[in-house]
Amino acid sequence: MRIEIRIFGAEARAAGADALAVDLDGPATCGSLREAMRERSPALAPALGWARFAVNGRYADDETEIGETDEVALIGLVGGG
Amino acid sequence: MATMDAISVSITDGPLGEPPARPDKGACGAWVVFEGVVRGDEGGGPIVALRYTAYEPMAQNQLAELGESVRAEFGVDCLMVEHSRGLVPVGACSFRLSIASGHRKEALAAMDAFIDRMKKDVPIWKEPVRG
Repeated sequence: MRIEIRIFGAEARAAGADALAVDLDGPATCGSLREAMRERSPALAPALGWARFAVNGRYADDETEIGETDEVALIGLVGGG
Repeated sequence: MATMDAISVSITDGPLGEPPARPDKGACGAWVVFEGVVRGDEGGGPIVALRYTAYEPMAQNQLAELGESVRAEFGVDCLMVEHSRGLVPVGACSFRLSIASGHRKEALAAMDAFIDRMKKDVPIWKEPVRG
């Protein structure tokens, strides 16, 4: 399945894009997406060590299952205020 | 003075406008307003503005949930959050948190806790714009 991931801030600048598409086999989780993104975009590898995922607007742990219709975002270091 | 919801959140384009009116709450002895203003230097050099990006609607929802959580934890009455998106020039206001409560101590503690947690969890980013 193909997962589209939205990317923001320093991570978007590192990746040179504000979104990334990753193909995953079989049942997918945020953890398997994290591994696939490391291979797909080496520029994001450092941030993928600690950045969080949000699934459908909520923070999600690596065990959270994801599908093609879910909205997934990589949330790196935030800086509001 | 004006009526006010217990929690109010807005994310709007550009610099924030004038501060909100003090709520009409006879039991409130404290009305604390904090404004975050864009500094002229960021990341070790001069800047002309900050460009804010928010992941919406998650950012609004997170701000509202944080507001509810802080309101319950510190026992304050009303909490109003305003944040900018897009370009905010040096010297302009990009963030405002207004809190009403019975006494100043809980309002000041709630103010500090809200801002600390916002900077950790709410998906809003800023990027310096150099001249």
